[in-house]
Amino acid sequence: MKTKKTIAIIGATGNMGSAISKSLSKGNYRLLLKANEEDKLDVLVKEIESIQTKAEVGVAVCPAEAGWEADIIILALPFGAEKEVAKKIKEVANQKIVISISNPLNETFDGLVTASDTSAAEELQKLLPNSKVIKAFNTTFAADFSSPVIDGKQVDAFIAGNDEEALQTVSELVTTAGFNPIVAGDLSISRTLESMQLLLIQLGIKYNYNWLAGWKILHN
Amino acid sequence: MYELFFQNFNTKVALTKEEETLIKNYLIPKKLRKKQYLLQENEVCKSYAFIEKGALRAYSVDDSGNEHIIQFGIEGWIVSDLYSFLTGEPATYNIDALEDSELVLISKTAHEELLQKLPKYETFTRLNITGAYIAMQKRLTSIISSPLEERYTNFTKAYPEIIQRVPQHMIASYMGLTPETLSRIRKRISAK
Repeated sequence: MKTKKTIAIIGATGNMGSAISKSLSKGNYRLLLKANEEDKLDVLVKEIESIQTKAEVGVAVCPAEAGWEADIIILALPFGAEKEVAKKIKEVANQKIVISISNPLNETFDGLVTASDTSAAEELQKLLPNSKVIKAFNTTFAADFSSPVIDGKQVDAFIAGNDEEALQTVSELVTTAGFNPIVAGDLSISRTLESMQLLLIQLGIKYNYNWLAGWKILHN
Repeated sequence: MYELFFQNFNTKVALTKEEETLIKNYLIPKKLRKKQYLLQENEVCKSYAFIEKGALRAYSVDDSGNEHIIQFGIEGWIVSDLYSFLTGEPATYNIDALEDSELVLISKTAHEELLQKLPKYETFTRLNITGAYIAMQKRLTSIISSPLEERYTNFTKAYPEIIQRVPQHMIASYMGLTPETLSRIRKRISAK
């Protein structure tokens, strides 16, 4: 039997946060959710409990408490909010996996606010030098979580990071969520992954993909 | 978060502030609620736990589904499946929390790097393993050769706090007895 890991999801009531929370509740995990909007959080917990009767899901009072109990921390936050939360969890996230899902888009969705020689994930790693920062779930839209198979194909989900064991653990999370995990490389590959999602967002707006779109690598 | 850990470390071998900082970078602070598992049987034990606060137990389950408690742990103690941790083989123990607990975990990777980097950590490890070996030898000798009453009396003298904090049926399991037998022994002792 695999020891049940505790996953803290910070920003659980956002589009991405709730999609990730619901999809991971299918797995052998204990979820610890944190969000500023407590009413919404209660609704989410009830919803998860009604879909997954066996799910073990709790609510944390603050990011630091959530992180302290967690084995894996998911920051389901926009890039702009990561910095502040990183400060709060720095100590409790020591040597733990911290997943960065954000895409550092500018306000007009036509570029990234990060310099070309860095990425949101690398910036987070600088703030959390003793944590194992992993980029994941940034190339998947929230709607993809309820339909991880689009047009008959299972959506790929790319992962980047510097720690082999952590990449393996996060691959399992991605599989639980219903996507096909692809380890893309070390954390600097996040630059490409974040740019890929910028492109997908731009194309989605241009061709009206209705936020249900994803990446699939075709190969033999 | 690491107070007791460093207090314990420093009584075994004194650290400088710099060395403490270096070690801190490798530690995993982890809260575990009552009844939650730190480790389940058949998974490889990838870290050992120093207990800052709380109480845990390690136990094995036999083919008939009976639990046998191998070890208890309270503040200042280390719990792990040392066999699995050192060999990388699947664990034969389950470890869970008897109370809400605060742990300091050291992963296998961190353990090996610290052994390389810091001779004082090697000393700390040697003293921990020596201590564990002595405890195990005592427990083994006691189980195979001491009369039951003496075993129980010795245990209560050595670990009065565990008697206070842990339910009797678990003490019985630790001693390899049924709760009824333990209860009879306790009555006999108190009648003396």
